[in-house]
Amino acid sequence: MEWLFRSHFDPMTEAALWSIAAVLVATLVLFVYTVGLRFATVTADRSRKKFLSIWRDIFAAALMGDGIPESRVLPTVRRADRSDLLEEWNRVCSVVEGKAMDNLIALAMRTGVPELARNLFQSHRVRSRILAVQTIGHLRLPEFRDRIKSLVDDNNTAISITAAAALVDIDPDFGTGIVVPMINKRRDWPKTRVSVILSSAGSERISEPMYRAIRSEDDAGQVYLLQFARLIESEILDALVDDLIRSSQDPGVLNAALKLVSGYRGVPRLASLTQHESWFVRMQSAKVLGRVGQREHLSLLETLLDDPEWWVRYRAAQAISRLPFIGPNELRAIRGRQSDAYAADMLQQCFAEVGLA
Amino acid sequence: MTLQEFVLAGQWVFLAYFVGINLGYLMQNVIAAFGIRRYLQTADQYEAENVFSALDIPISLVVPAYNESASIITSVKAMLQLEYPQYELIVVNDGSTDDTLQKLIDEFDMQEFPEAYRARVESKPVKSVYRSTRIANLRVVDKVNGGSKADASNAGINVCRYPLVCVVDADSVLQPDSLRRVVRPFLEDPTTVAVGGTVRIANGCTVRQGFLEKVGLPGNFLALVQVVEYLRAFLFGRMGWSPINGLLIISGAFGLFHKETLVEAGGYNPDAVGEDMELVLRLHRLMKQKRRPYRITFVPDPVCWTDAPENYRDLKGQRVRWQHGLGQALALNRSLLTNPRGGAVTWVSIPFYVIFELCGPILEVAGYVFIVICGVMGWLSWPEAGIFLGLAIGLGVMLSTSAIMLEELSFHMYPKFSQLALLYLIAIVENFGFRQLTTLWRFQGLIRWLSGSKHEWQTITRSASLADKSE
Repeated sequence: MEWLFRSHFDPMTEAALWSIAAVLVATLVLFVYTVGLRFATVTADRSRKKFLSIWRDIFAAALMGDGIPESRVLPTVRRADRSDLLEEWNRVCSVVEGKAMDNLIALAMRTGVPELARNLFQSHRVRSRILAVQTIGHLRLPEFRDRIKSLVDDNNTAISITAAAALVDIDPDFGTGIVVPMINKRRDWPKTRVSVILSSAGSERISEPMYRAIRSEDDAGQVYLLQFARLIESEILDALVDDLIRSSQDPGVLNAALKLVSGYRGVPRLASLTQHESWFVRMQSAKVLGRVGQREHLSLLETLLDDPEWWVRYRAAQAISRLPFIGPNELRAIRGRQSDAYAADMLQQCFAEVGLA
Repeated sequence: MTLQEFVLAGQWVFLAYFVGINLGYLMQNVIAAFGIRRYLQTADQYEAENVFSALDIPISLVVPAYNESASIITSVKAMLQLEYPQYELIVVNDGSTDDTLQKLIDEFDMQEFPEAYRARVESKPVKSVYRSTRIANLRVVDKVNGGSKADASNAGINVCRYPLVCVVDADSVLQPDSLRRVVRPFLEDPTTVAVGGTVRIANGCTVRQGFLEKVGLPGNFLALVQVVEYLRAFLFGRMGWSPINGLLIISGAFGLFHKETLVEAGGYNPDAVGEDMELVLRLHRLMKQKRRPYRITFVPDPVCWTDAPENYRDLKGQRVRWQHGLGQALALNRSLLTNPRGGAVTWVSIPFYVIFELCGPILEVAGYVFIVICGVMGWLSWPEAGIFLGLAIGLGVMLSTSAIMLEELSFHMYPKFSQLALLYLIAIVENFGFRQLTTLWRFQGLIRWLSGSKHEWQTITRSASLADKSE
């Protein structure tokens, strides 16, 4: 039976031999690459640690008083350490402001940071470009304003959001005018990062463009932008919320707007919203009543206690148990008069939550 | 058909299987390498920008526990210290026969609480819900034993209040930033319904106060082999499926789900042996039936460390169970295979799993038997057979080497050169005996599934290395 492999698999066996050779070479390459990578990582880590230990002290000194005196000689930055320098400098910049920031900018000027950023700005590597944009933003270099503006629309999320932040840093009025109308289009921008940018621009600067952006969007856009509406000035926010609750029929918009109600000034349509067909609008209405409700709203809340949706019952019961003008005895009386078992159970849970068994 | 024709046909089948499975793994490898590279590029940016804050989505952490008296307090304390702005912790005591519940009550001042429980997904009855008087975000659900982790998880899901649910094993050691990392796909893509993360082997590591203090490699051979296996399984196994939305498994040790979708799918199946895989398959099925866009994603970050079996009995039990669960999960969701709109799941993932993961052990065991018979009968050309065996081993080593390279490229959790050397050694040694043994166990699992049997909570012997230094 020698025929078995020999007669039918000879070309196959030859292919297998070649495959073994290819697999061995590939394995060897992977092995050498991995070990090389390990050596490179260890060496780079050591060098980075040494470099940063020197420069962290310098940055720390720069944050104090008038910063680093002109007379102090700064260490030379090797080519290989430039990215580390920029990263560390940007990291420190992102947590300081005022005089300390001015000192850091002065230090950056002495160490050639603007030049490094200019060079990196031309790079094709995403990481380098991000670092450059971030640095330019922190340095507030006005000559880059228009070039940074064009990057706000970049397809790469990281580049565009960094450019948005830098643009607001360089020219806050101009920047907010560009960035705010783009927020809804750039749903890929991390929301937290967007709110940090808006906060840094200041509520007085973003209120008007944000109001206009929200009013001009469709329902989905309004819902999205309302997530950032807390950052605008309270008078404008109240007017906006009032306006939206009055005019919108969309459950999402109503839900988002109700979340922003901060005080009772006669919230429009509140009674009808507690009967809305969308359960989350009813739930938000219950929450609003819990925050700003008056005694006359108690009956509205009680009607929500036997709602088919658990969350509506829960928020209604929570609202009742936390109304400041209702004492323990009255709360027990409210529970006592509930004929619906779900309503009574929910009240019992919420009373337990506030320590009223 | 003559004997000669039968033997020749057999050879072609084995050859086709051999080529298919290795090409599949190589493809996964390539996809995973690009996926990890892309992920790391953006991860740097996310870290630098510190994008996580109060706008993150709140998470309910569900921890099913059955007779976890020895470790539950340390685990809960560690889970209460995770780096995440808003989350609640729900421990489900699944009718433990030891003092798990009492320990929780004593340690965290738990008090019975009249929770308005709503049974949205199926589970055995809940006896009581407790709330900590000291820690606002901690609750304990005490329920009648349901005989499975799935049943306990469902009870936990029923009391969750947040939009995302993370089900975690009680004995898992979590990375402090695990929730921050695993929530990222939900923030990036609102159609995400489930996310899994990389599970690593905790044996050999130093654990203090429920947190991983130092990463190490186990001294035990079986655990050591599983370190390499897990690197392969997660770094290119799962990472290779994720970019094409063809991921079929999210480890039961740590998975994050969109709660409403999870409830809509009916929660975990208490009768499923591999409840984690069955759930993911059911989520695929639900979303495709409803024709909704969705993502089931994987993040390569190590988020969870788990205890691996260190003896043959436990390891065999685990592998038999996994294979049993695989067969059952695929059978329960077989309609995915015939869904013309099933996308990568129907056309790529499930066929691959059926042919190579489910039926693979049959072919592999048959292959070994075939070789032995041919050898005994004198039909085998030993040099040629040796060449093919060498190729099979070579490919196995290459895939492991590739997984080690991906680990080095991404997270390099094993910092010493000696650890790297040991991993390479294992990548070679595991091909001589261990792989054949696991194939045999998987074959047994397949038989067990075909014969039909029920699975219950399994207790495995804990490794000494995982013992918390603080205990």
